[in-house]
Amino acid sequence: MASRLSLLTDQLKRTLNENEIAGLKQALNEITLETPAAHWQTVALKLRDQLGFESCLDVCGVDYSEFEDGAWQGPRFAAVYHLLSISNNVRLRVRVFCPDDNAPTLCSMMDTWPGVNWFEREAFDLFGIVFEGHPDLRRILTDYGFVGHPFRKDFPVTGHVEMRYDEEQARVVYQPVTIEPRELTPRIIREENYGDR
Amino acid sequence: MMDSGTMEMSGLDQRGFVVTTADTAINWVRSNSLWPVTFGLACCAVEMMHVGASRYDLDRFGSFFRPSPRQSDLMIVAGTLTNKMAAALRKVYDQMPEPRWVISMGSCANGGGYYHYSYSVVRGCDRIVPVDIYVPGCPPTAEALLYGFIQLQNKIKRTNTIARSGLPARLLSSS
Amino acid sequence: MTAEIRNYSINFGPQHPAAHGVLRLILELDGEVVQRADPHIGLLHRATEKLAETKTWLQNLPYMDRLDYMSPLSNEQAYCLAVEKLLGIEAPVRAQYIRVMYAEITRLLSHLLWLGAHGIDLGAMTMFIYCFREREDLLDMVEAVSGARMHAAYFRPGGVYRDLPDSMPKYEESKLRNKAKLQRINANRDGSLLDFIEDFTNRFPARIDEYETLLTDNRIWKQRTVGIGVVDPDRAKALGFSGPMLRGSGIAWDLRKKQPYEIYDRLDFDIPIGKNGDSYDRYLVRVEELRQSNRIIRQCVDWLKKNPSPVITENHKIAPPKRDAMKSNMEELIHHFKLFSEGMHVPLGEAYAAIEHPKGEFGIYLLSDGANKPYRMKIRAPGFCHLSALDELSRGHMLADVVAIIGTLDIVFGEVDR
Repeated sequence: MASRLSLLTDQLKRTLNENEIAGLKQALNEITLETPAAHWQTVALKLRDQLGFESCLDVCGVDYSEFEDGAWQGPRFAAVYHLLSISNNVRLRVRVFCPDDNAPTLCSMMDTWPGVNWFEREAFDLFGIVFEGHPDLRRILTDYGFVGHPFRKDFPVTGHVEMRYDEEQARVVYQPVTIEPRELTPRIIREENYGDR
Repeated sequence: MMDSGTMEMSGLDQRGFVVTTADTAINWVRSNSLWPVTFGLACCAVEMMHVGASRYDLDRFGSFFRPSPRQSDLMIVAGTLTNKMAAALRKVYDQMPEPRWVISMGSCANGGGYYHYSYSVVRGCDRIVPVDIYVPGCPPTAEALLYGFIQLQNKIKRTNTIARSGLPARLLSSS
Repeated sequence: MTAEIRNYSINFGPQHPAAHGVLRLILELDGEVVQRADPHIGLLHRATEKLAETKTWLQNLPYMDRLDYMSPLSNEQAYCLAVEKLLGIEAPVRAQYIRVMYAEITRLLSHLLWLGAHGIDLGAMTMFIYCFREREDLLDMVEAVSGARMHAAYFRPGGVYRDLPDSMPKYEESKLRNKAKLQRINANRDGSLLDFIEDFTNRFPARIDEYETLLTDNRIWKQRTVGIGVVDPDRAKALGFSGPMLRGSGIAWDLRKKQPYEIYDRLDFDIPIGKNGDSYDRYLVRVEELRQSNRIIRQCVDWLKKNPSPVITENHKIAPPKRDAMKSNMEELIHHFKLFSEGMHVPLGEAYAAIEHPKGEFGIYLLSDGANKPYRMKIRAPGFCHLSALDELSRGHMLADVVAIIGTLDIVFGEVDR
């Protein structure tokens, strides 16, 4: 396993140009590659055609704005791709940061891996990351006519509206949310080795 | 279910007759042929299927799952009701013929449960449709749903279909 | 002049008995032939991933049960593996055996529900009754160990909550059962839970034969499934398929063999693969998986009977101490209090743990910034990926075949919508 990972690291360094690798690290038996958004299209093609990553299993949007309680300095939005090579039996994680925090945009991978179709729609729906070139970028999970991108950190968990049935109009209607937000356990980051003697 | 006192007094039961009130007869029919619409939303739907399957066998209670709301008189809201689904749920309810009953199954349908604080979940299906019986649990076991079902039958048996407005209130409440 | 023929769209669901939950489909039809299928999902979107960011690592575990509610324990296994990866710990061997055994019991649960529901969709009503008969026994196993029939919350980061019980709950006397009947139905419940499971593994292969007698050579079944929803191997890879959807197309890919986790590398089992990539092949693959899972469960039972040992880690920053230790030892009391008030802390980092879930590759991607809650949790659900290919699979098929295709995808909305 470990040898396969170091082999993949070597192959990545050989196949990709220097400016296409923004970061490459190995931790917990997983390799994470960071790629600038501008080069992502060409890198993806290389990964698929030259390194045998024929499946993209997952696209995960991340909003880094509150990472480590605000210590984060980099770009706010990223998409994390999990690639799998069935022929070489190896996995790779690719993180691509969106250059613009206010209008996060990435190129769509629909042509490279058609399986990412709904994953990109999901990341658009929940985080507002626009995938350029996606043929059908609609909301997918949230309600018809939903406002906002719920998984962004500044969107409250309870949302802004709730639903009830209105007897007079004889249909379901939205009204402003009536419950108080509640946090059972506060979020705490402890220093390293906290509690060890 | 029959009113044995009346029968004994009149002696009719000796001659092969059964005498009862129209209310009792109607309620007997209604409570023993409750046809739920198959309306599984989430996890609870699996337990709802178990109620209808081999071990628990809801058919014993004269109950039979119908795929169409227009043929059914009971809706078991089995699972989390989300905002996106609420309109559809209400529509199914509106399509059911009167009289109709609703069992809210599981904590999500009762009040949002584990997902109460979520932006996309209706905090209790009673905000959308009137509920007769709440079955607690996450998910309620098949036995619990069966118990809720029997409770609903008892509830139906207690209702008066024919309003006897001429009678004094004292008699109405005791019947 | 010929009459003008137009395509028309119909709405399928969200309340439809064959929609396996709350799927809404907009179908564009030319006569009875499907031109385009547009699945609308999100009707069970409960924002699990967002809620997980507000709860501690341990409080998030029960959310896993409610994702794919046909196979709750497999979801927990993926979550526990991901957390353990970040923590850098490993569960004790006995716990790993228990987890694998329950993951395979869960696979039986999921496949049996799939078989029953798929059968009922295609007109084989008896399958539903047969499969649920076995599911009741399996649910009894889950209930005996965790107290809950479905949502067990039994696996924990660092092991499992408690060891297997020494006795099985029994049927009780009632006016409906006489002594002889009571004795008969309690016969396999006299021993421990492991004896009950062993007894099940002995009789289950005959039950699978019963299912196969009803379906495998059944003409109607074959007409409804052979040649329906064909995926060729390259396309399956490009679409990100996994599990039986991939193996049905003839690719021998199973994480239990290829990237073994827990103790799968110590077990003896085979991976069935299909040939044509149609619904019928996937049916055969899943039925064979029932037999293989039965084999795995049997091997786990044999090992567990011989090797008693601890089932959860001794690190009390991750797992609670024993109750008597907590009551008598100050140190342990503090551990207990911290663990259940503030929760454990997971080091900074990210991890992706994937398991061979009954439906395909189920992955949990965790991003931790060192807090007592996940910063971001992403659930990679196999059903989400498979359902996105519905449009492609159903094009050119008849309307009635759409139901067969939805069935063969084996989707559950808890995980598709999350």
